[in-house]
Formats: sequence, structure tokens, C-alpha cells
Amino acid sequence: MLEKEIVVRNRAGIHTRPAATIVKLAAKFKSDIGLDRDGFRINAKSIIGVMTLAAEQGCKLKIYVDGEDEQAAIKELAELFDSGFGEIL
Amino acid sequence: MLSKNNLMNKEQKFNGIPSSPGIAIGRAVILKPETVVFPVEDVPAERIPDELSRFDKAVEDLVNEFTELVDKVKEEAGAVVSIIETNTLIISDKMLHAAVTDRINNGESAESAVVSEFDRQKQFFKHSNDVILRERAVDLDQIKQKLLSVLRRRSDMIDFPNNSIVVAQSLSPSDIIKFREAGVLAFITEIGGIASHASILARTFEIPAVIGVHNAVSMIINGDNLIVDGFSGLIFNHAEKKTLHDLVSRQSDYKKNQKALGKLAKLSSETKDGRRIKLQSNIDYLDDANSAAMVGAEGFGLVRTENLIISLQHFPSEEEQYNWYKQIADRAFPAIATFRVFDIGSDKHAEGMPRHEENPALGFRGIRFLLKRRDIFKSQIRAILRVSDHKNIRLMLPMISNIDEVLNSIKLIEQCKSELHQQKESFDAYIPVGVMIETPAAVMVADKLAELTQFFSIGTNDLTQYSLAADRSNELVADVYDAFHPSIIRMIKMTVDVAHKHKIPVGICGELAGHSASTSLLVGLGVDEFSVAPSALLETKKRIRETDCKIAIELAEKALNSSSHDEIKELLDMD
Repeated sequence: MLEKEIVVRNRAGIHTRPAATIVKLAAKFKSDIGLDRDGFRINAKSIIGVMTLAAEQGCKLKIYVDGEDEQAAIKELAELFDSGFGEIL
Repeated sequence: MLSKNNLMNKEQKFNGIPSSPGIAIGRAVILKPETVVFPVEDVPAERIPDELSRFDKAVEDLVNEFTELVDKVKEEAGAVVSIIETNTLIISDKMLHAAVTDRINNGESAESAVVSEFDRQKQFFKHSNDVILRERAVDLDQIKQKLLSVLRRRSDMIDFPNNSIVVAQSLSPSDIIKFREAGVLAFITEIGGIASHASILARTFEIPAVIGVHNAVSMIINGDNLIVDGFSGLIFNHAEKKTLHDLVSRQSDYKKNQKALGKLAKLSSETKDGRRIKLQSNIDYLDDANSAAMVGAEGFGLVRTENLIISLQHFPSEEEQYNWYKQIADRAFPAIATFRVFDIGSDKHAEGMPRHEENPALGFRGIRFLLKRRDIFKSQIRAILRVSDHKNIRLMLPMISNIDEVLNSIKLIEQCKSELHQQKESFDAYIPVGVMIETPAAVMVADKLAELTQFFSIGTNDLTQYSLAADRSNELVADVYDAFHPSIIRMIKMTVDVAHKHKIPVGICGELAGHSASTSLLVGLGVDEFSVAPSALLETKKRIRETDCKIAIELAEKALNSSSHDEIKELLDMD
């Protein structure tokens, strides 16, 4: 089980398109992947879950990954958040 | 009471938010939402498997329908594809599926389970502080409606006559795609934001649309003769001859214009070798915003807010400003609108300004005035912040000549933010703040200014006047006032270099930006953004597209080494 704190960096926050990108990436891994905002934890493979985080710019989230490919999963997800989903930072 | 018949031949006017430009004339087709309520009924145990399979089948059908839609539009627009794909992700969401299935297993009908679960999820979005996320609640509603119509096997396809204007409470992305195929001329909706997926699609397909029209579905009747103006957000029903004539001629102007401009309005603003130059428009009045949309401006690089004072003949209240700024911000969306705070001096008379100064250009103007009149400055900052919730707004400070002016302005902006926050107003907490570079002093301390701000905009008119000590309204020194003076070229270069070192963009918004001889020179100097009058935009774009960066950089180097105006003129092939 791995965890990592990340920050939402893009200006528009996690609206629909970034949410879809997160879900698509998470679905590639076998591990269970969760995202936590102030104790509210959702399944990162569910788009409804990711969207209900309502995470705006500057918001801090925790990624939890548990499973055989957890190393790769946490690395790629953290990179995705870090890149600001390719949007304006 | 007036019957609807009595209103039949009277012109009615409705006001909404323009969400996709263009003008359409046609007949109303009203889509009434079905307001069926599904009670949480107790489904007998033996019928539960049926309900489960009805739900699964509905999901499957809808996923197939969306997949087909994607196939139909994928060549036209990538944005559209990703919107529909997201809807597919939502429908096939496992968590949602499990929750709905649970409800059905507990005795709810498929319809009731869908309604309850979607409404429960929607609550999370509705309470978000962020307006863009709040608008996603609408997406969920639309998907819910789709699922319900599939469950009831109701086809939502209507036969449209070929001059239809659809009037609906709200429209989903897939509605827009289908209606476009059916040849619908325009859309009018009661709800929806400019950032909604339906608005994005209408813009992509270039179908005029006006949203946020209160009670449109009940006020407009099937078959009404409508005119939709997607530039101004106005809708006319039973238009009078004069209105009809005006709009028909505007529509034909627009079409002619588009034809004449050919593809230029839609082509991207980039040099021959692919360097993107952001080409924006200067805005003096609301009409400019419409013209800018017509010529395909990538947002507004300079909104001269003092024009509001001049046209109202008094300092506008926060609300008056909010209304004007909001219309401009919405017309720019999703591109950026840059509001420059009031830049007035005693040369433009307004109540509360000094009546007379010996030399207004060097006097009590721009930021100097605003920092002394904090009541006025604060009401303007508040109004600008309040229209920033779609995160497409920048705030720009004029006439900066020292760092304190910027520090004090930022302090005031932060103060306004915390007041608005307490009043539960939504705004962009990270609104970019930039400065005009229009005094030689600002050029010299540009590195310090860059540490405090998020963008620069060079105002060449004032920069030239102040650098050369030549009043730009005095004919006697008209030959001294010269934006192509080597000193100006060098100051632009210094400013660009500092900005790029600090990784902030630098624009140019004076007359030099639109000057026919200057385009390649400015590109060569490294300017990132041009902001010109709407009428000069396409000409400028054409020149940008003809520019070769390598040649432009060589040209700029030669200009930087020139000793006189004449040498530069020769370089640029000017008469």
C-alpha cells in the first residue's frame, strides 16, 4: 500500500476532461486506487467518484494505491497531476 | 388578462446570454421536458430480475448510441469526441451501476433507482465552490434524462421542418449533434452556462445559440417566428419590419464578411514556421466584442473600461460595471478577456476628476488617480473579480511607473478577494494581474515588476510619447512622435527579454501592433500576444501567417542596431 500527497495544479481544477483522463489512466492498473480529499475517499476508477471530489486549483489530495502494480500506478498518476493535465497552470 | 393571441403580432424581445455567435431566422420548435415523477414504488420480488435487466439494457443501448455519435463527429472535432466519451464513462461507471443495482434489489423500479441515485450524486456537484464544476451537475441531469427515455423506449427524435429553431429547457451534447443533423438553425435554452458542453458544441458546429433565457419554453409558442442573435444574446419574436430588416442585413453582412475573409477568420494565428502568436482584439464598446467574435479574435487583450465612464458621464456603480463586464467576459469565453482598470486623466472629463491640469499626460491619471480614490478602485476590482468565475479574466494596471503602485494595487485586490469570499461570492482566486509597460521607468524596472505580476502588455502609444517627450496630440511635434524610433524598438526588446526570463507572456496593444510594417519586426522581437482593433485583426493575422521567424529575428537584430528612424524605415520597406 502506497500513498502520496499531490496538489491540483491546473487553473480549471478537476472538471470533466481531467476526471476522464484520471479514470482512464487508473483503469490501466490492477491495483485498487483511491483519492482522498479531507477524509472523503473515492475510487479513482469511477468517474462519478473523481468528479464528486470537486477538486479546484490548489486543492490537496492523497493518492492511495494497493496492489501488484502499485509502484507504477502511483508514479504515473502523480505525474499526471503534476503536468496539470496538459492545461494552463 | 391578455390572451396569447393578443400578443401574437406584437414584437417581443427576450434577453439571454450569447453562447455561440451568428444570426438565425426561423420558426420555433418547443421541446417540453417531461415532468414525470417516479415514486419509490415497491416492486414485487419476482419482478426484480426484469427491472435489473431493463436497466442493464438501457445502459447498453445508450453506450451504443454514444459510440455511434462519436463515429459521426470524430473527424470534425476532437473536443466533441472527448465530451461524448466522458458521457459514456459516466453511464458505464461501475460505482453508479452498483448503487442503482442495489436500489433495484431493494425494490425500487429501474426508473426510480436511476432518478434517486443521479440526484444523490448531483448534490456533490451543486455545492462545489467552483462554477465550472457546478455546471457539471447539468451533465448528470442530462444523462439521467437520456437513461429515462431509453428505459421508456421513447424516441427523442422529432421530425424538424427545415427552418427550425429549437427552444428547450436544456440540451445535452447528443441532442445538439442530432439536431444539427436534422438541420436545426439555432438553439435557445432556459438554463446552461457558457462553459456547458452544449455551448461548446454549438460553437464548434457554428450554430447560433442563446442560453439562460428565462421561461423561454413557456413564453414562446411552437411555430413562432423567431430571430436569434447569437452575438448579443437577443431573441425577437414576431419582429417588427424594422427589426427584421436590421437583422437580415446584419446576417447578410456577417455571411458576406465570412465569405470575403475566406478561411482566414478560422485559421490559426501562427507564423509560416509554426510559432503561435496569440492574436486578440481591443475592446472599447460592447459592439467591438461582437465584431471581434466575427473575425475570430482569440480573446480580448485590452478592454478599455474607461469608455464606460465616458459613455455614462459618471463613475459607474459596482453593479453597472458588473453588468457590462459580465457581457464582455461571456462573449470572450472560453478565450481570455483582459480588463484594464480605468485609465483616465483630466483630458477625459468625468465627475470627480481635476478640471484642468497644465499637462494631463504627465498628470494625475491611471493608477495614480485610482490609488488616491480607493472607493472607485475597489468597486472596479470587485466588479472585475465577480465576473472572473469562469477563469478567463485578467486584470491589468495602467500607467505604472514604480513598484509601490503595483504592491498597493495587489494589496487592494487581495483585500477585495477576502471581502468577496466572506460575502460568498464566487471568483477566480488566482486571477492573473499584469501591468501596462508604457513609461520608460517601467521598462527600466521591468525585472522587479515581473516578480510581482503574471503578464505584461506594452502600450506603444504612451511609451513613445513619454520616451521621446513628444505630445501625441500636438501637431507641431508630430514628426518627433515616432513609434519606430530605435529607442522604442530597444525598449520593446528589453521588456520581452525580462518577461521571458521570468516566464511571463508579453503582449503589445498600442497602434504599433496593428501597423502594417511592424508585424514581422514585433514577432522577431519575441512578442507573444498582439491586441489590435477588430477591424485590423484579419490583416494582422494574414501578415503573421506570412512571417518567417528566422527572417523576422534577423530583421529585429538589424533594427536593434539601427541608429535612426530612417534606417529602420528602409529595413521595413516603409514609404
